[in-house]
Amino acid sequence: MSPSPARMGVVALRVVRQLKRDRRTIGLILFAPIMLMILFGYALSGEMSGINIGMVDGGGHQLLRAHLESMSDFDILHLGSESDAERLIAEGRLDGAVVLQEESLRVLLDASSPQISDAIAAAVQAGAAGGMATKAGGRAITPVTRRYIFGYDLEMIDTIGPAVLGLVIFFFAFIVAAISFLREKTLGTLEKFMVSPLSRGEIISGYILGFSMVAILQSATTLLIVVFAFGVPMRGSPIIAFAVILMLGAGALALGSFVSNFARSEFQVVQFIPVVIIPQIVLCGVFWPVQSVPEFLRPISYVLPLTYASDALREIMLKGAGLADILYPDLLALAAFFAITLAAATLMLRREVG
Amino acid sequence: MAEIEGGKDFAGTRGVPAVSARGISKSFGRQRVLDELSVEIPSGLTYCLLGPNGSGKTTFIRAVVGLLRLDGGDLQVLGRPVGEVARLYPRIGYMTQHKALYPDLTVEENMEFYAGLYSLTKKVREERMEELLRMVELSAHRSRLAGDLSGGMYQRLSLACTLIHEPELLLLDEPTVGVDPRVRQTFWEYFNRMAEEGKTVLITTHLMDEAEKCQRVGYMRAGRMAAEGSPEEILDKAGLQPILKLWLAGPEDGAALLSRQGYPAAVKEGAVLVGLEYRGQVKEILALVEPLDMRLVEPRLEEAFLLLAEGQ
Repeated sequence: MSPSPARMGVVALRVVRQLKRDRRTIGLILFAPIMLMILFGYALSGEMSGINIGMVDGGGHQLLRAHLESMSDFDILHLGSESDAERLIAEGRLDGAVVLQEESLRVLLDASSPQISDAIAAAVQAGAAGGMATKAGGRAITPVTRRYIFGYDLEMIDTIGPAVLGLVIFFFAFIVAAISFLREKTLGTLEKFMVSPLSRGEIISGYILGFSMVAILQSATTLLIVVFAFGVPMRGSPIIAFAVILMLGAGALALGSFVSNFARSEFQVVQFIPVVIIPQIVLCGVFWPVQSVPEFLRPISYVLPLTYASDALREIMLKGAGLADILYPDLLALAAFFAITLAAATLMLRREVG
Repeated sequence: MAEIEGGKDFAGTRGVPAVSARGISKSFGRQRVLDELSVEIPSGLTYCLLGPNGSGKTTFIRAVVGLLRLDGGDLQVLGRPVGEVARLYPRIGYMTQHKALYPDLTVEENMEFYAGLYSLTKKVREERMEELLRMVELSAHRSRLAGDLSGGMYQRLSLACTLIHEPELLLLDEPTVGVDPRVRQTFWEYFNRMAEEGKTVLITTHLMDEAEKCQRVGYMRAGRMAAEGSPEEILDKAGLQPILKLWLAGPEDGAALLSRQGYPAAVKEGAVLVGLEYRGQVKEILALVEPLDMRLVEPRLEEAFLLLAEGQ
């Protein structure tokens, strides 16, 4: 059967009609994200407490490391490379970093917050001096190099806001699609579709199209809240940011449709939520950078869509990145995620009937 | 997939059986639900699949619409192998035991939705909706939410949605459950009219009186066709004839007299039962005895089915 946009439209129109009548769901879809954003906004809008420093551990300097770790003001994030450290400082997510190597010691500092930089430099100096004092003389003193990087002086909500925006959209799109697709099964309408000219692809695409209308509304309101109520910068194009959110939302809708195949009741669907959502919160660099995720878990981070969406949104909103900057890997990864989940949802529908 | 075959002239398939199954089998796990079932459902009539719950009626229908992969056997639908049945979907109407309606859409919106799936033009859609709403007596409720309808109305709407595209093969799984007798009568008139127009109506039921309304009946048991034919044929096959029940002043003597004359007669609960070969025999018998009262007892289809099924 050749795919018919008209039949897809019939399905989409029906979804919209149903939603229009379901005020409670509309409320959930539109206001719950706003509420969540406000909650996150206020919880995270204070200046960062404590000093976040990164540590790239190339060996040696045990005493300095112990000294820094013993300081209660410092939250230490262990990083894999110096370039990670530079990037995180540039993004305003770290105040500074120390790069430990056998023969050298470098301190990276954020030039935009001098007080914090001084505190870090002083601590490193003290720790390094302590180490040298105990060394059996003769060996050359390890040179301490300082490098300044210009980061943003951002509030926490600024760096986390874009990622949370993605998370919230993903969360609601996933739930709504999973539950309403399951309802098609329990109502018996799905079986009836199967015996109609409607193809499996048209069913899923029509569904996603219908819910996209809602996702557009949802994304728009949530984006407005983040930018206007909490003053998260929007240095890049809001339209590109919007497109990223929609692509993520479409992937979540397809994933929801796919997952609903494994559930027999709404009760079971709800149990899928933590399984799907929590790994993304933990592994996708929403609250802490992907670089801080242990290496053996990182491959998982790189297959989860929120990793790319939150990176793209940060790049656009905080650094003013354009389409070309986020095309690879972020946009491509999101497109691939959507394509794969869409195909999986369609194939699953076929097998269900087999 | 190939192109849809829509709006094909019925004449093209007239004479070809609507459904033809030869030795089809289907198991779910270790349970054999269809057991080398063979049946031919001619087109242009009302056909009833009768049988107790679990006899494989629903499985058979699902196999016909291509929702099940058969383990073996040959199944043809409207003259084509069941593997190609997807092409025939525009010509098939399928109503499941689930009503397959959206409770949060109105009566009209539900119908519009299904009309949309079959790409009906607005004009055709409006006409069909008018006609069907009248038939299922829901014209006055077109703006009500389906979820607010009573059980019987919901069922009627489901049927209307199934008929929206004028299917040429209609498959209905227990369509009259919860529908009151008067509306049920309307349904049957409509089904008979469809059959007259050359369409085929295949209905499953576990109710005997439903089956008696069909032109042909297949009695399923344990995944096989235990008996098949028109209701009259089935009675014939079971060898059950009308029974004359006589109340005589002296039942024992009467029975003895009739037996001597060659009529099978027996006394049961004070009455004489006489097995007839044809109805005309009643007159002959009345010439021999003078009953106080009498009654002609029709054998029931149900008994016929049971007898036939036991005989297998």
